[in-house]
Amino acid sequence: MTARLIMKLRVEKMRFTTPDVLHMQLVHPLRPVLPEWSAGAHVDLRVPDGRVRQYSLCGDPDDRSRYEIAIKREATGRGGSVWAHENLREGSEVHISTPRNNLPLNGKGERYVLIAGGIGITPLLPMARTLKRWGKDFTLHYCARSASEAPLLVELRDICGPSLQCWFSASGPRFDPAAIGPYDEDTHAYICGPQRLLDAVHSALSAWPEDHVHGEVFQMTVDENFKPEPFEVTVASTGHRFLVPADKSLLDVLRDNDFAMPSSCEMGVCGSCECGYRDGLVLHRDKVLPTSKRQDRLMLCVSRARVSVTLDL
Amino acid sequence: MNVHPIDRPPPSMVEAFEHPAGSVAARKAGGATQWRGKLLHIHIAPSASYEMEELQEAECVAGRGIVGDRYYERTGTYSPKPDVREVTLIEQEALDALSRNDPPLQSGAITLEPGDHRRNLTVTGVPLNHLVGRRFRVGDVILRGGRLNFPCKYLEELLGLPVFLPLYNRSGLNCGIERGGIIRRGDAIELLGQ
Repeated sequence: MTARLIMKLRVEKMRFTTPDVLHMQLVHPLRPVLPEWSAGAHVDLRVPDGRVRQYSLCGDPDDRSRYEIAIKREATGRGGSVWAHENLREGSEVHISTPRNNLPLNGKGERYVLIAGGIGITPLLPMARTLKRWGKDFTLHYCARSASEAPLLVELRDICGPSLQCWFSASGPRFDPAAIGPYDEDTHAYICGPQRLLDAVHSALSAWPEDHVHGEVFQMTVDENFKPEPFEVTVASTGHRFLVPADKSLLDVLRDNDFAMPSSCEMGVCGSCECGYRDGLVLHRDKVLPTSKRQDRLMLCVSRARVSVTLDL
Repeated sequence: MNVHPIDRPPPSMVEAFEHPAGSVAARKAGGATQWRGKLLHIHIAPSASYEMEELQEAECVAGRGIVGDRYYERTGTYSPKPDVREVTLIEQEALDALSRNDPPLQSGAITLEPGDHRRNLTVTGVPLNHLVGRRFRVGDVILRGGRLNFPCKYLEELLGLPVFLPLYNRSGLNCGIERGGIIRRGDAIELLGQ
């Protein structure tokens, strides 16, 4: 559970990097130096209706004067990108949190394979920049329909040179996970893109150790077979007991009872509402907690319990 | 862009001299009296977690807070919890001590700018720890010391700095507003009688 400061930044520059992806540079109107970040980090963007959306930082981590984000217009999405495309202009004010990194670049490897699908390139671009700076061997596989639909391609070519391998399905073969190459203990893979790409890569790399394959998806996976059941929650410090009905989350119920809990994406991907628990059979439904932490930590926004759970609050 | 109002119950501001700390302190004489301080900075935040914004002057409303601040707007992190939070103050002298790592509780000095500590008023020459249960004026506004402020882990998380321990016992004062009005940077601060 980590609170993050929210800053009012200004859109300094804005351009379309593809017909449906807006690339923007954000600066602080008063502070010349923004909080530091590292490759793989994202920020929260607050939409005026109170909702929060996550966008990976895609600029240069060494340039503290600005943040860069790229937003793909998702007409069937949850409304954040359409709002940004229709309302943000150069000079607009945007409410942005300080960065958080759920996909940090592990410096232990000697060889890195980065695999991006479409807008999933955003966290991987600063990774390529960082790996180049570290002098590490890397290959970036970039999957998109065509060059004109591949966000930030010009920047990538500049940074990666021959380390960039593009897979444009409209004019050539689709990405073949065999191109990742064999496993060795000095190799790490980072994947960001749509769920089907993650699934394909995870399936191809199923023999690799879990801590060598790193992936991120900023969308909820809908499990149609999951039927939420009511359960009881106990707050360890106060002894309060509340019923969590099937149509409400743990987060909702705690807030309804005046427990001020932080949250952000509220769909199990950002990690803001992480909380400890002591007993109970927890049904983890998030995309962010590693297996090693699930014994005693859960995400209040999406995870539930069978019958009862006691929270370390 | 407006900040979305978060649906929360109205704040329950506790009157400063009815707080368990302020009520006891108000009945017991003591504390420094021969001092005269100054208001250095005024900061407010529009909502929980938002960066503090500096003002040259601000309007204080009795029983509610500083106009535009998250505790006035009922959108503060601790708004749902009954407490004395109309105005919070901290001593510049405490920030100076942090910046020279005194006492040496951390591996090094911590620079906490006036906009970072999330108290509303940064003051100098004011012995805040002596003012629980006391009335004092900032310009024409009269404040009542309700309880000592204490640092929270939330502040550490927001700042990413280990400020919890070094701020302990010098984290400032939470006040109620007895008489509202306008405060300005540079205003004199003086003790008043009970």
